[in-house]
Amino acid sequence: MCSEIENCEGPDAAETVFFGGGTPSLVAPESLEEIFAALHSRFTFTNPEITIEANPDDVDAALASAWRSIGVNRISLGVQSFNDAALHYLGRRHDAARAHRACEIVRERFENWSLDLIFGAPPVSAWEETLRTCVELAPPHVSAYGLTYEEGTPFGKRKSEAVDEETSLTMYRQARAALTDYARYEISNFARPGCECRHNLVYWRNEEYAGFGPGAYSYVNRVRARNATKTDEYLSAPGKKDETLHLSDREIRVETVIQYLRLRAGLRNRAYLERFGNTVREDFGVVIDGLIRRGLIAEDGDGIRPTELGFELNNEIGLALV
Amino acid sequence: MAVPNERIRNFCIIAHVDHGKSTLADRILQLTGAVDARNLKEQTLDTMDLERERGITIKAVAVRLTYKADDGQEYALHLIDTPGHVDFSYEVSRSLAACEGALLLVDAAQGVEAQTLANAYKAIDQNLEIIPVINKIDLPSADIDNVRRQIEEILGLDGATAVLASAKEGIGTRDVLEAVIKRIPHPKGDRQISPRALIFDAKYDSYRGVVVYVRVMDGRISRGMKVQMMSNGLKYEVAELGFFCPAITPADALEAGEVGYLICNIRSLKDTKIGDTVTDALKPAERPLPGYEEVQPVVFCGMYPAAANDYQELRDALERLQLNDASFTYQADSSDALGLGFRLGFLGLLHMEIVQERLEREFDLTLVTTVPNVAYHLVRMSGESFSIENASKMPPPGEIDRIEEPYIEADIMCPTEYLSAVIDLCKKKRGIHVRVDYIDSRRCMAVYQLPLAEIVLDFYDKLKTYTRGYGSMEYRLIGFREGDLVRLDIMLNGEIVDALSSIVHRERAVWVGRTLAVKLRGLIPRQQYEVAIQAAIGAKIIVRETVKPLRKNVTAKCYGGDITRKRKLLEKQKEGKKRMKQVCCGSTKSRNRPCRRKKRNPQTLHERSRRCCCRR
Repeated sequence: MCSEIENCEGPDAAETVFFGGGTPSLVAPESLEEIFAALHSRFTFTNPEITIEANPDDVDAALASAWRSIGVNRISLGVQSFNDAALHYLGRRHDAARAHRACEIVRERFENWSLDLIFGAPPVSAWEETLRTCVELAPPHVSAYGLTYEEGTPFGKRKSEAVDEETSLTMYRQARAALTDYARYEISNFARPGCECRHNLVYWRNEEYAGFGPGAYSYVNRVRARNATKTDEYLSAPGKKDETLHLSDREIRVETVIQYLRLRAGLRNRAYLERFGNTVREDFGVVIDGLIRRGLIAEDGDGIRPTELGFELNNEIGLALV
Repeated sequence: MAVPNERIRNFCIIAHVDHGKSTLADRILQLTGAVDARNLKEQTLDTMDLERERGITIKAVAVRLTYKADDGQEYALHLIDTPGHVDFSYEVSRSLAACEGALLLVDAAQGVEAQTLANAYKAIDQNLEIIPVINKIDLPSADIDNVRRQIEEILGLDGATAVLASAKEGIGTRDVLEAVIKRIPHPKGDRQISPRALIFDAKYDSYRGVVVYVRVMDGRISRGMKVQMMSNGLKYEVAELGFFCPAITPADALEAGEVGYLICNIRSLKDTKIGDTVTDALKPAERPLPGYEEVQPVVFCGMYPAAANDYQELRDALERLQLNDASFTYQADSSDALGLGFRLGFLGLLHMEIVQERLEREFDLTLVTTVPNVAYHLVRMSGESFSIENASKMPPPGEIDRIEEPYIEADIMCPTEYLSAVIDLCKKKRGIHVRVDYIDSRRCMAVYQLPLAEIVLDFYDKLKTYTRGYGSMEYRLIGFREGDLVRLDIMLNGEIVDALSSIVHRERAVWVGRTLAVKLRGLIPRQQYEVAIQAAIGAKIIVRETVKPLRKNVTAKCYGGDITRKRKLLEKQKEGKKRMKQVCCGSTKSRNRPCRRKKRNPQTLHERSRRCCCRR
């Protein structure tokens, strides 16, 4: 991975690092340190946000301190739930008590940290319980995702167990109501002022990023590409892509608007104009008017943003734009 | 030298599919020396190559054979092929009218089948001498006595006189031909009077134009003669005439009693009507031969090119196809959902399939076909009456005095244990019980009168299901009957979808409406707002289904690699929404094609009969 980092193309300035996907908390701190060295030799960072995704099971005081000492300044803790039955359903190794302890450890060492939560796993009552505990722990940032039974995953075959749409909607609204001290700056993400995840904002603004490691995606110079997913293939040729997509100008514009409209702030007219050389209305005027009529987005002086309905039916916005 | 009437025999073979018709025909050809065994390809009457080198590509539907009988005389035998399927029943009746006798071929193991019956009755109606032939007597499962009994009990023929044969083994072929000579009457036309020849078939040949098959009833037709079609007065000069022996063999004249072909530079089959009478244009006969009818389409459907820019191609294809099948009709049509296309009329369901398959195969078109429907007979308050097959063109109820729908009489054969299921099915389909005949201890035949509209819908598929594939069926049109018929509209959020309107029986309206509405509910993607699907008769809503509004539709996680994947997923969904409109109109792909068949050229009648075995 270090050689992949050192040899990668693209700009030199970088703003954020995110160790995620899989279970990076299993990586030995010494290895992380090596990766850091490679990153610093390839990129120049000024005031970077450096996040690591961590499993509550793996977190102990020593590891958390080690992360801190090598430069990690944000932890995203994959707690998912504070209800044992729900955790069991989700196939997690940790229980609620372990999750609670992990939060305490992280909170003592990091100012900026996040709780990853999932709603929709039975029992239905687990969600309120989880939200309550979350509020007590008061992390600066919370992600709350609806459980998806994605095809091709073990959950794909269990789609019939999913909670109905109405219940799922209620749960989503419960999160919003419980997290009153937070701003929901994206569909599934809540933050105290200034604690938004800078890294993920890159995705939601459809900006460029480089990905390293097996199966990692990059988006550089209008090309979205994926590294070989199998570890042995990756090791035999680090950075070799098994999927490369040259995006057309139109596709980039569509993806950009779709992504921006996941954000509470929406899309600013000026940002679009500066990036593409014309106004968003010139490209999507008819669609925008349609979406406004349907109550999915609103115009607010210098841009467009999703309405509450636009959050809950966000895919409808995407459908109209493609 | 002309063969005298006394030494001519005209006959055909009536058989159920797979009872050995083609094999027997081959044996007869072989025995009479028309084809020697060495050259006998499987089923000579089916092969095309034979005539191609002579500049003709169509297949013989009538052959002339010379047979030296046991009495020492030489006879001219004309063996006429008949279409095997009910859709072409008028053509069958004309072919039968060209004969004096028929061989009724029955499988020794399987016995009498629905199709055998239907055609045998037609032959009896035409006063043909019928010679029962029990075929496949060499099979271990042959039950000759039982088949003899069936022939007597069901057909009312003398089972004792049945000829025993195994066409496959060449057993009994000579006995068959001797029976033809001894039992079938010779033709009795007067050769001195003005000619009258019955057109019983016609084929289009790309080299020679239309080849007309005739049976000369009176007088003679000679080469160079100016002839006239008695139905429309069109006149032609006979460029060539003669016989298929089975090779095409030109002659100087066709005499009364003979069966042969005419080539008169006729460009299109549209100008050649089956059942018409050909006469001498200079000295025409006073009256045409009896029995001529204009054939009217009874089943209709819309056909649209799957790709909108194929419209012109479809138009050209229909024009060309009509050169060799004049029995389907077409007119331009358009639909909100499907764009420009055509509305076609057919003699029946099988005919519809043949045309559709030829369009797709021979012209390489991909078609979207709407659910088939029948033509109704509508009488206005004013007394004016007309035919209507498109529900959306129906006048307001106040202007309608009555609507009549076509009825058929069906002979449905099945093992006795399925009789109650068959009766059940017929009842559900508004059938009127006529009678039940028991063929033997194991099988029976239910005779029902049913509205054709019910048959067109899904009757065959249902019959197969209800009888586990053992049921077979034939039907004939028996005319129009008044029915409590109404126009059923389907509305989406209060707006009528033209293409989905239909004419249905009032009692069935709720069922049909519910079926359609439920199907639509499954097809229409949920929207931000509720979608009401309603079925209505006039202003009265009889069915309502609701597509619930979307409440939550969101991709919870959308990071790096997810972005493009999500866009593509949305694009796919959007495409699905567009296609939904088409699906609403249905495609015959699944509805009318219960099984996939080998690709065949549907031009020959043999094949028509084989096809129906797939369906039945």
